[in-house]
Amino acid sequence: MLLPKFDFHEPASVEEACQVMAEFKEKAKPLAGGTDLMVNMKKKIVSPEQIVSLGRIDTLKDLSRENGTLKIGACFTVADLAVSETVQKLVSALGSGGRALGSPLVRNLATIGGNIGSARPAADLPPSLMAYGARLSIESSRGSRELDIEKFFKGPGMTALAPDEVITAIHVDIPGPGAGAGYINIGVRRAQDCNIVNVASFLALDEKDGAVKTARIVMGSVGPTPMRAPTAEKVLVGSRPDASLFAEAAAAAEQDCSPILDFRGSAEYRRAMVGVLTRRTLEIALKEAQRG
Amino acid sequence: MSRFNVINSRARRIDTPDKATGRAVFIDDMSLPGMLYGALVQSPVAHARIVGIDASAAAKLPGVKDIVTAKEAGMIKYGVSPARYDETLFCHDKVRYVGDEIAAVAAVDREIAQEAVSLIKVEYEELPAVFTVEEAMAAGAPQLHDEYPGNVCAEVHQEFGDVEKAFAECDLIRTTTFKNKRQDAAFIEPMGCIAAYDLSGRLTLYSSTQVPHYVQRTVAMVLGLDVGRVRVVKPYVGGGFGIKAAANSGEMAASLLSKRTGRPVKLTYSREQVFMFGRARHGFAHTMTTGVKKDGTLMALKHECYLDGGAYSSFGIATVYYAGSLLGGPYRLPNMKYDGFRVYNNKPACGAQRGHGGVAARAAWEQQLDMIAEELSIDPVDLRLKNMMQAGDTTCNDLNMSSLGMEECIEAVKDGSGWTSKKGKLPKGKGIGMACGFFVSGAGYPIYRSDTYHGTVVIKLTEDGGTALVYTASAEIGQGSDTTFAMIAAEALGVPLSSVRLASGDTDMGVDLGAYSSRQTLMTGHAVKEAAEDVKAQVLDVMADELDVPADKMDIKDGKIVFTAGDVDISALRTRYIKEHRGWIDNIEEGPLTFKEASRIAYLARGSIVGTGKYKPPELGGKFKGAAVGTSPAYGCSAQVVEVEVDMETGHIKIEKMTDAHDCGLAINKTSVEGQMHGSLSMGLGEALYEEVKFDEKGRVINSDLAEYKIPTSLDMPNVDTIIVESDEPNGPFGAKEVGEGAIMPTIPAILNAVYDATGVRIFELPLTPERVYMALKKAKKKNA
Repeated sequence: MLLPKFDFHEPASVEEACQVMAEFKEKAKPLAGGTDLMVNMKKKIVSPEQIVSLGRIDTLKDLSRENGTLKIGACFTVADLAVSETVQKLVSALGSGGRALGSPLVRNLATIGGNIGSARPAADLPPSLMAYGARLSIESSRGSRELDIEKFFKGPGMTALAPDEVITAIHVDIPGPGAGAGYINIGVRRAQDCNIVNVASFLALDEKDGAVKTARIVMGSVGPTPMRAPTAEKVLVGSRPDASLFAEAAAAAEQDCSPILDFRGSAEYRRAMVGVLTRRTLEIALKEAQRG
Repeated sequence: MSRFNVINSRARRIDTPDKATGRAVFIDDMSLPGMLYGALVQSPVAHARIVGIDASAAAKLPGVKDIVTAKEAGMIKYGVSPARYDETLFCHDKVRYVGDEIAAVAAVDREIAQEAVSLIKVEYEELPAVFTVEEAMAAGAPQLHDEYPGNVCAEVHQEFGDVEKAFAECDLIRTTTFKNKRQDAAFIEPMGCIAAYDLSGRLTLYSSTQVPHYVQRTVAMVLGLDVGRVRVVKPYVGGGFGIKAAANSGEMAASLLSKRTGRPVKLTYSREQVFMFGRARHGFAHTMTTGVKKDGTLMALKHECYLDGGAYSSFGIATVYYAGSLLGGPYRLPNMKYDGFRVYNNKPACGAQRGHGGVAARAAWEQQLDMIAEELSIDPVDLRLKNMMQAGDTTCNDLNMSSLGMEECIEAVKDGSGWTSKKGKLPKGKGIGMACGFFVSGAGYPIYRSDTYHGTVVIKLTEDGGTALVYTASAEIGQGSDTTFAMIAAEALGVPLSSVRLASGDTDMGVDLGAYSSRQTLMTGHAVKEAAEDVKAQVLDVMADELDVPADKMDIKDGKIVFTAGDVDISALRTRYIKEHRGWIDNIEEGPLTFKEASRIAYLARGSIVGTGKYKPPELGGKFKGAAVGTSPAYGCSAQVVEVEVDMETGHIKIEKMTDAHDCGLAINKTSVEGQMHGSLSMGLGEALYEEVKFDEKGRVINSDLAEYKIPTSLDMPNVDTIIVESDEPNGPFGAKEVGEGAIMPTIPAILNAVYDATGVRIFELPLTPERVYMALKKAKKKNA
């Protein structure tokens, strides 16, 4: 399969990138790792006339910690995410997502911004980012804005990005003591697989009585976008976490999702797995929250 | 200490430096001056009449040099077996599957060739299509081929002994059904070729193939050329597994385009085209009824099988026979009845893949044997030990086990896996299972009826002395056959491996049927050994004259002439050799006479020293219809134990450990033997757990890439303990026989049996995806509730 013809831009700064995007708008696509875009271009699913590579903009590759927030550049690679001690220590569920994504070769190229921007319903990074309540920095020649990641996804491949905008950074508030998160994905084989179901759960416990103060459960691959499990979260909040509470939340999550049947798996199986993964990720989150 | 100097070792492969440094040349690396690029026009619909083809727009596209359709290619029918030639290079009346070839173009570059393909307008009148065995066999179903009514491509009906009579004497009779799915071999290198028709009317075809010989014959036949004017050359090949064991449409299209344009034409398949072309493992549906005595003695097997064949025959006739005949062993089975049907439908043709025809049948039966063992409260290992054949036994369908290390294999995996301490003692969710299998060491007969030798080899000694050049038309496709044959030549000639240089994969070098049916080590190996012995005898003959020592009192060992009847004065010969090399500084002044000196002297006496070798099996098998399929001069056998952990909530199976023992006769290269065992296990694991070629309702493959067609990754492969069992095969060169395919036989059933041990649930359909396992567990839970 051959790539369609296109013009290639290699801006050296975000500002320059935004100018090119502003000039070509719908005709342009930003290129980060290319692990999704190049495949779709070869398959002729998309044929952008202008490719705007972000690969030379070094400021997009940084990971920094400011006050209680972790700022991850949009071009931070998934390979780095998978091995970063900072990520593992502060936002372990995101690290789990990084390690679950693709193969070493894919991870070397793939970026966190690309994994968000491509908006695949089964992507490995959005569930944990949504569970952590991450925010996105979005820039264009018109200015910059910050957006809650939950408001970003609109459907498979569809996002809240305007045609001239690019994602530049992801901000994750570092969970305090008494909080934790977990992420699990399942496919058919153990690696390099499109997820059948992936779930991330976040729990924050009340310091005094240990009851659940905040719960966020995000289910991937079972709807047009990664989605919250509101009923399941409601089950959890205000109660002391234990096995039976988690079982109840898992059962609720199964009803919160709206899986489809396709050649990768039936709706029945996906729904059942949402339950299993909800319970298992809650167990990880609880363990992390209780480690003190 | 080995009794051999070269073979039976772990010699480094002779292609290692090239492959490790990326210098090995594959088709994709090659180009020739003035080369054009070919591309195929393939049907987007599964079944349709071709109303018209309009190539006028494509012909006008600058850079397009030629367009060919059935009109230019002709209607010569070809296929794999002459009994079922049911394909033409291009469709002329109708298309029968999505991907059926209609035309081909040649252009100055790949982009233009592909654009030209998109400009060729084919008008179709769509016909109703059938995609399953059931649909194809239903009354009034659309017919694919007028010559084969009812869409039955081939059927087999055989009975050995008297099955019904035996059932009457049985204490336990069990029937099970079993289904696998269509496979893709997922070799790393898609098919590709460069055809170069020269100005004197000769075609050289470079191709990624397992069988230069068969490609040569088929291309010559379809293009109407003398076989002698067609030369097929195989560069390095990135795997084949059976799919490249016959000529493909790309090879013929490129050859035709090159013949017409007078320029070399390169044509390569994309991964999607590999899936569209198919020709890998069939989908099989087996029903087996097995009868046994209380003590576990196997009495009879009644077996019915339907093969999802696809649009053309490919290897299918052999496949439908193999699916039955390969259950004749490795157990003593006095009565066997087989009814097999290979059925056409509007999907890509299925063909041969590693373990040809026998893999799903073996899985079905070995699982059933475990069920029977459980009902009789016999350990599965003991049931197999009780029934296994011994060397010298002949199966009820006339296959002779001239050597059979079955007992050693079973004992080896039993000990190696710690079977006794684990079977029946593992916690819920963990399981252990075992199975056995056997396979041919080369098909007893060529694909076309002929008295041809199956392999011929020429060895020439370089005139300076010291190096043996081995020429064989056999096919190195990654399995290591070049190294094997260089080792056999060195051993038989009595020289170090470094004194042998080998060239292979070229039809100009002789006849060799190629790399399929696990035949090369035994068959080509025999021819290599005979050729090496021939040159050795010639050298020793000259030495006998020169030194006045009888030739049978001399030998060549490790590059030196050995005199077995006492010391011989070689000084005159040595002086003569040194005089030949005045000024050279590496002349040997003392020590025994070397092969280098001797072969130089032999050249001086007789001119170039050339030896030839050849091999064909003796007449094998019974006299019944189809008796040829399954015959072989020797059979490899194996046993395997697999340990699994099953996630009872998600249905995921983790293969924790595999212990595999294979009887390959004498291992020529132990590392290569283990490599084949590892590869077989990985392929079997993939077929057991993940792999299935999936189609949409229009007959289009929906997972035609290696992201969605899931073969095992390194994380899915467990540690593998490979144990080589070496029986002494009387019909093999130095006692060697197969390992390439037999090793896959026990893998799937051992996994099935381990999953049952872990879960208490039997599953009769592959692949064992998490969802299938989950559903089976859920169903069992409901039933037991």
